[in-house]
Amino acid sequence: MSTPAMARRGFLKGALGIGALAAAGACAPGGGTSAAPSKLAKPTVSASTSAKGEITIWNRSGDLFKVFDAAIGKFREAYPGVKVNHLAVDIDAKLANTLISGTDVPDGSFWDDAKIGGQSEHLYDLTDLIAPYRDKVAPYKLSVNTVGGKIFGVPWDLDPGLLWYREDILQDAGVDPAGIGTYDDLLTAARTIKEKDPKTKPIHLDKNPFLGQLWLEMLANQQGTSLADAQGKLRLESPEYRRTLGWIQDAVKGDLVTHAPYLEAADINTLDSGQQVFVPWAIWWSFAPQQLLKATKGKWRAAPLPAWTPGGARSGAMGGSSFVIPAKAKNPELAWLLYEFLCFTEPGCTAVYGPNSIYPGGLSTSVPSFTPALKADKPLFKPIDALGGQDLWKVAVEAAATIPAAAPIPVWWAQSVDYLGDNVQRLIEGKMSPDDVIAESAKKIQRNLIDRA
Amino acid sequence: MSSLTATTARRAATGSRRLPRLSPYLFIAPFFAVFAAFGVYPLVYALRLSFTRWRGAGEATWVGVGNYVYLLTNPDFWASLGNSAVMWLLIVPVQVVAGLGAAVLLANARLRLRGLFRVAFIAPFVTPLVAMAQVWIVVFDEDYGLVNHVLGLVGLPAVGWLTSTAWAKPTLALLFLWKTTGFAIIILLAGLQAVPGAVYEAASIDGASRWRQFWSLTVPLVRRSIAFLVVVQTLAVFQMFAEPYVVTEGGPYGSTTTAGLYLYDHISASDLGTGAANSFLLVLLVFGLSLGAVRLLRPKDEVS
Repeated sequence: MSTPAMARRGFLKGALGIGALAAAGACAPGGGTSAAPSKLAKPTVSASTSAKGEITIWNRSGDLFKVFDAAIGKFREAYPGVKVNHLAVDIDAKLANTLISGTDVPDGSFWDDAKIGGQSEHLYDLTDLIAPYRDKVAPYKLSVNTVGGKIFGVPWDLDPGLLWYREDILQDAGVDPAGIGTYDDLLTAARTIKEKDPKTKPIHLDKNPFLGQLWLEMLANQQGTSLADAQGKLRLESPEYRRTLGWIQDAVKGDLVTHAPYLEAADINTLDSGQQVFVPWAIWWSFAPQQLLKATKGKWRAAPLPAWTPGGARSGAMGGSSFVIPAKAKNPELAWLLYEFLCFTEPGCTAVYGPNSIYPGGLSTSVPSFTPALKADKPLFKPIDALGGQDLWKVAVEAAATIPAAAPIPVWWAQSVDYLGDNVQRLIEGKMSPDDVIAESAKKIQRNLIDRA
Repeated sequence: MSSLTATTARRAATGSRRLPRLSPYLFIAPFFAVFAAFGVYPLVYALRLSFTRWRGAGEATWVGVGNYVYLLTNPDFWASLGNSAVMWLLIVPVQVVAGLGAAVLLANARLRLRGLFRVAFIAPFVTPLVAMAQVWIVVFDEDYGLVNHVLGLVGLPAVGWLTSTAWAKPTLALLFLWKTTGFAIIILLAGLQAVPGAVYEAASIDGASRWRQFWSLTVPLVRRSIAFLVVVQTLAVFQMFAEPYVVTEGGPYGSTTTAGLYLYDHISASDLGTGAANSFLLVLLVFGLSLGAVRLLRPKDEVS
């Protein structure tokens, strides 16, 4: 017995028709979500004993996870009623998707400052909660966590740029590091070293487009500017960027540059061989002499960055991370209590940066953005043997104090690496002039990113 | 009483007639339910999304064909397609020829260590791609890689295998070939084993050389397998994502930003509308290419 063909077709057509109608109706993107971000109010339970509940917190894996794990232990001593599920997660791969899908959203997460602006619709507005601490947070960190006048991240670390140099080579060449006050002085010092040893290519410029652009932004921040202003308008066409790119071109033309990818084999070998003498980079480069370099361990030192103009700022920020509380968090108030403890209290900052079982000397790859903790005479981490016993804390804190405020990081920043980051590489390879870098990058960023943001 | 019995009997008869009529649909309903939920719904959702600007939260803004126009007038989109097209040329013809050659060898019962060769060819296919991508990074490193070390031993200069625009694509294509040629061999071997041995015996009796047999018998008789392989690998090459993502991150200078990676860039930037539009353009392109390949490789008897 067979069912008539028409009946079968009719059934299928009907089913598909109903399905299509239902799907088309139900498939409206954004239909069920709120347009305005939620604002997180001060928790009703702030007393440590009355705070009760469970939160899930995402963090990066690795040693930093272990550091935070120990610090969360301190938080739980202060808030015994709060259970914290601390998870190591590939945040770059998962957080944005989780925020968009709204499934299994954590109560709080670690995140790069550069990525917070792009997802602010999914995050709690923390402006009111952070208000009491505004004057106690590095201006740079407040600005990069602000979107449309609202603060979406709890500012955590500050990553001042420093000038890393080989003390022994400078001594042999008769170069006084204290005399490197400007970037022109740095070129002069590099030429002096190269004259003494022609094999050297003293200044590190990075071969990774993303890090290269992050580095360029550090130099821009040092001059009080950034890729976009507070309104999101591109300001690449400016004397500051032109000056910076021109300096790079001068260094390249003088054969003063080692162009190597950040701490990959080629970089490590030329750092250890003496080919590289100066590394203008963030404080987190301290990881290299402590963990990666062998022959030159103990020979590197840190100084503030040179200034672009005499008397100018001696540092800029390079990278950094903060904590976000997703708008769909189940226990946002408790997540805030955790982050408030870690970022804005003395025991919290000490728990993260002070000596611990993972880093016996303390965490020395950044400093807190909470300014009351940034006292040169009250170091959180100890002098570092791999830097010849130098007190990196003092150098970093003094440099951090000069970092100018910035503008919010635009949502399209990471995508702009395909244009500006790549073109900076072309400049270093001698394939583009500073004017070309600016014109070409600005055109594409404006068309492909800003006009569509 | 009798009237009630008759009514019940009629109802029962009607019910039992209805049940057989409905039962086929009930049997296939689970498939349609799953297909509708995980096939039709996402497709319709993505299609609608492609006409909007939406970042995953808030209300979506209807932009009509704006996303499609943006992509079709964007040199980066065409560059990503160009990169994928070059990868296709570097991969698919080589894979068909090499895969067919290897399959013919492996189909030969007299080949010694045949089992070992089969395992050797299949092993890369079952090895995790990301692990092998890391090996590629080490082996092809410009400064300290094994390949450049060997070149140095014979006095040849180092090559920027992964850092020069000229070499990055061939190096990635080699990874893809190494990884998936085992799959191609399985497909072609299955096709070869379906060819009756009597065909070759007859050809031998007629005096056909081995090359003649290969060219005039083997190739035409495995045409369907070749067509299938070309279609599947065309899909794979145009969706290629993990290889450039892990090994080159799309660089240097976007030279390995494949169509799949370019699509991902929109999604990861929460530009979901453009990402959806990009997906549909890619579907159309791959559909057209696959259709072309199938028509080109269709056996002659089917054409007639």
